[in-house]
Amino acid sequence: MGTAAHALLAVALAAAPARADTCTGVTRAGSRYTICFDLGNRLSLTAGSDGVGGAISIRHVIKFEDEPDLEWKMEHVLGEATHALLADGFRGALYRGRYLRHARDGHIVIPLGTPKKVFLPFDVGAEVEAGTVTWRPGEATTEVGVVRAAALIDVSRSRTFRTRVAFGPVAHWRVDLERDVRAVVDHAVAPFSLAMFNLHLESYDGLSLLDVRVEGGSAWHPRGGGWRTEARAEATLERIVLAVNDRPVALVVGVRHDTATDETIARVGARVVIVGARDPRVGLLDHR
Amino acid sequence: MRAIATLVAIGIGLPGVATAGPRATRFDGERPMMDPTREVKCVRDLEGKMWRIQCNDAKKVCLYVENEELDVDGRRAKPLERARACPILDESFDRAKYEARGYTMMPGRADAPYGWTRDERGRVFQVNFDLRKRLYLGVAYTPQKLLDRVEDPFQNKRSALDFGLLQFQWYLGGDAPTRHRFKFVEGQVRVEPFSSQVTIAHYDMSNRFLDPLLRITTFFGKPQRHDLHLNLGLWTEAGTLEMRDTPVGPAQLWKHATAQVTFDLWQSARLESFLRLRTGLGLEGARDDVNGYRSAITGASALELDCVLDNAGFHNVKLSIEHEIPRYFVPVQPDGTTKFAQRARAQFLYEAIVLAINDQPLTLKLAAGGEKRNDIPGVPDQWAFVMDAGLRFSLWAPPRTHF
Repeated sequence: MGTAAHALLAVALAAAPARADTCTGVTRAGSRYTICFDLGNRLSLTAGSDGVGGAISIRHVIKFEDEPDLEWKMEHVLGEATHALLADGFRGALYRGRYLRHARDGHIVIPLGTPKKVFLPFDVGAEVEAGTVTWRPGEATTEVGVVRAAALIDVSRSRTFRTRVAFGPVAHWRVDLERDVRAVVDHAVAPFSLAMFNLHLESYDGLSLLDVRVEGGSAWHPRGGGWRTEARAEATLERIVLAVNDRPVALVVGVRHDTATDETIARVGARVVIVGARDPRVGLLDHR
Repeated sequence: MRAIATLVAIGIGLPGVATAGPRATRFDGERPMMDPTREVKCVRDLEGKMWRIQCNDAKKVCLYVENEELDVDGRRAKPLERARACPILDESFDRAKYEARGYTMMPGRADAPYGWTRDERGRVFQVNFDLRKRLYLGVAYTPQKLLDRVEDPFQNKRSALDFGLLQFQWYLGGDAPTRHRFKFVEGQVRVEPFSSQVTIAHYDMSNRFLDPLLRITTFFGKPQRHDLHLNLGLWTEAGTLEMRDTPVGPAQLWKHATAQVTFDLWQSARLESFLRLRTGLGLEGARDDVNGYRSAITGASALELDCVLDNAGFHNVKLSIEHEIPRYFVPVQPDGTTKFAQRARAQFLYEAIVLAINDQPLTLKLAAGGEKRNDIPGVPDQWAFVMDAGLRFSLWAPPRTHF
């Protein structure tokens, strides 16, 4: 069997395992394979109707020995990029980060006089983006997002990365550059004058992911008529359909609407994980 | 027998301790907190519930408190957070014996680590914040907005956002104390009139040299020695971008890199606060519709005060007075003959913590600033002033280092 036995381990087509725990499959011949995946730690390539691209995703948790009920859930995405193949379009980000402080005991502290603690049923955190670049086919400008930040309130209070129901105010500063001479055409500044909502769900086995994001409000355009309403919504569904050498291959479908361009774009593609962290629940070593 | 004796002794010795059930009135008044530097012991009562006890031999007082957090009804709900390990006594705690020696038994609160405290239910929360270690997002408004448009005070004109995606400091003690300060992606954007400034990376360093540069001895009366220290450091920035709109078009200033020497006139004990002079050179490029693109080497000097006013880190003051002289490689407008320009800037910032959400502080920011410059066509060469009042939400902000 050798290497070939470990190749093409299709999750959906896996033979009935002779013996398996929750996240490790075992063939009739006794070979083990992965059936749970870590969606947050991977270098992936995506090819789809909107182009070809990739991203590096990192997730980690910061814990505290003296306060076991507190942890920081940290998510980072580095060098995310998608380039259209059939048109001159590009979308990328140098860095995206999300930091959520999960505590079993959410509270607000009023430090005036004797400090008082009032219970609050949510986690807090922030989402930041730096260095986003977008240009669309047929447009003369490139949109450079210098910084975007949102203060988050996560009412799901999940201890894992699998569930997030978050909302909060958003601030951003974008610059529109003329593509040929790279002169500034306009700015868009939102001093927390937007609000966002984010629903994120992952299945326990990491095979499925749903992310819905809605953002809307107004931003100031100094050369474009002052305050303008802007809104965007995006939904992404990712489903791992097979794995090659335990590297997952996923089907990705999504839809995005942006009032700035007044267009709705649907996309479908395939995502291949080139390098990924193994889900710690998976045990591929045979201890028989 | 020893265990039974312990239970009996505690049950007798701690009035109300062995009483089970809700006690809604027991939270009235402020309980004293246990001293985190003194020994604390754990004992069980007649019902097997664990109590923390700490006795102060000097004050003849013993504090006792439940070893768990309490719910709103006073029932034990969950283990104490950020609590010290508590050795469980295997011998009796004899209250009668302590009272005979003049001790008073009082309900108290369990101790908490430095920078934290507990409420009456034993819930821990942070009361000391280091605003130099944080990610912050802020929004500010100028009072002028209200004066201009009293009929519409919620109009968002003249608002601003500020941000610092990561800043932290690193202190090295020892014979030559040094503090390293890092800031990444920090800036501010004003809406109307539009202006913006962002710095990708900042690093500066303060030193304290124990050996003085000069020792001056005076012989007026009793001979006395006076030391003159030269506490030199380093100040650098890379990737600063300033953008603003002017009547003659947009202007951009790229400060590619700046390096300066700092001279600390005053330093706090651990170099967190300082008053310093700095001076040095930078390489920059500017672009506007009148001059096009031009590069310059810029000499810059500044006087800076950065001060934490209280030990809890609630009140913070920053003051800076800066002067910059860009020397362009080609003559620039308005007269087309000079290669020099001038920029002067003064800024004051007061930031105070008003509350904390899940131990993440929300601060009030009051700022004032003035600027006078002649390097941007269309901007009058005169002082312009602005004031801000705003809020900042910070993440991380751990307790300040205990010393």
